[in-house]
Amino acid sequence: MSTPRREEIVAWVVSAIMPHEAAVRGWLRRRLQSPEDIDDLIQEAYAKLAALTSLDHVERGDRYFFRIVRNLLVDKIRHARVVRIDSVADIDLMNLDTAEPGPDRITAARQELAKVAALIDALPDRYRQVVRMRRVEGLSQKEIARRLNVTESVVENDAVRGLRLVIKALKGGDAADAKSDVQGGRHASNR
Amino acid sequence: MRQTADQIEEEAAAWVVRLDLEGRTDGLRAELDAWLAVDVRRQGALLQAEAAWAALGGAQARAAIGAREAASGDNRGRRRFLLGGLAAGLAAAFAGLVVLGQAEHYATGVGEIRRVPLRDGSTAALDTNSEIAVSLSRGRRAVRLVRGEAWFHVAKDASRPFQVEIGQARVQAVGTAFSVRGQGQGAEVIVTEGVVRAWIKGSEGQAALLPAGVVAIVGADGQIAQTRGPAEGSGRLAWMEGKLDFRGETLAQAVVAFNRYNVRQLVIVDPELARQRIHGVFRADDPVAFARALEVTLGARVSYADPKQIRITGPRR
Repeated sequence: MSTPRREEIVAWVVSAIMPHEAAVRGWLRRRLQSPEDIDDLIQEAYAKLAALTSLDHVERGDRYFFRIVRNLLVDKIRHARVVRIDSVADIDLMNLDTAEPGPDRITAARQELAKVAALIDALPDRYRQVVRMRRVEGLSQKEIARRLNVTESVVENDAVRGLRLVIKALKGGDAADAKSDVQGGRHASNR
Repeated sequence: MRQTADQIEEEAAAWVVRLDLEGRTDGLRAELDAWLAVDVRRQGALLQAEAAWAALGGAQARAAIGAREAASGDNRGRRRFLLGGLAAGLAAAFAGLVVLGQAEHYATGVGEIRRVPLRDGSTAALDTNSEIAVSLSRGRRAVRLVRGEAWFHVAKDASRPFQVEIGQARVQAVGTAFSVRGQGQGAEVIVTEGVVRAWIKGSEGQAALLPAGVVAIVGADGQIAQTRGPAEGSGRLAWMEGKLDFRGETLAQAVVAFNRYNVRQLVIVDPELARQRIHGVFRADDPVAFARALEVTLGARVSYADPKQIRITGPRR
């Protein structure tokens, strides 16, 4: 593989990165107070992936993504001039033993895409119809508009809303998730 | 004012849908580039949205959408999963297996760590830049450590002792786990489970029985020095998890350890810094993270400019 095409990066993100996003967010929640900071950092991490010129050196997407996020976090801490690392949480940040997603998390991540499927099932009818016609049947915007008897801009809006709901769900931000992540981390440190 | 991540996400989703519905015309592409250039987070959000949109056309999503009839004749989803499989396959292909004569050779390159299942049910784990030759026959199981370090978990088989040969040193077990690496003409042996017998070729009379928890140096003169240190032993075997576990080693020693695993070498310029003792567990294949930790904890100054090495100097005084 030489320079990856955009589609290759996107396909790799779908199969190797996205399933781990919720776990990485769980890890970040224990270190960053504000949800806005977490969102910023995740977007910055994806920006690093978007800029990749090769996927050859990446053996495992989850670890790679995690490492990017951790380095961004370290940068943030340093720029905040909290130079000395002496709190337990910060030492933990340096300690990859506890920082790596544990095997439980990795297995759980494999089921993450199945969750996306469940989420699509739960999409409001209109959004799901538009998504199906476009992503599965490959119909044009005009054709979708005709079949649903709506304007083309409604088609576009519904598609955007459906997509947003899916992106949101991929963040997996519920409390139960954060809790299981703490246990996952502990498990990893006991190996 | 700085956009929130949420606003960016909204715009990114709109972009992805627009690009898909309208096609990537030059005009739209230029508009997109202008949008992307404003904030690096937009570049990340766009990739996230593209991936989510792609996932909606994926196999599982497709099933969920309930369009089984459309699944035939469109293999985009399948190709996507093949790509993941391909990456895994490439990683697996790194463990070179070369069959020479009767002995099977297994080798790892710099930075590589492999677990290799052997045909008798035993397992070998090879550290970075290591090689073993395995010959299994009816009466014996013989392994030669050609270079580097290897750990073995030996399947029980009383009729076929499992013997590792390293230089002049010999280590033998029936059903147990231990690691060996060369040390001059002799070997260092760490026993993690059960008991092993170790000796130097020609002085089998001086063989020593080494129980679990022992770290032993089998000297070329046939002398066997034991230190009993389970903690030390387990720290030394962190490589099996792809990690380096430092427990008060000097930075100079830690750098030597890292450099065994990586093409990009760590260089400590400051002798005083090199004498500092460190504690911690690090990924063996990530010298950059280690250097960053030194920056933060010791105030070291690090230059990452050279792709072949990472230069570390002491704190500004």
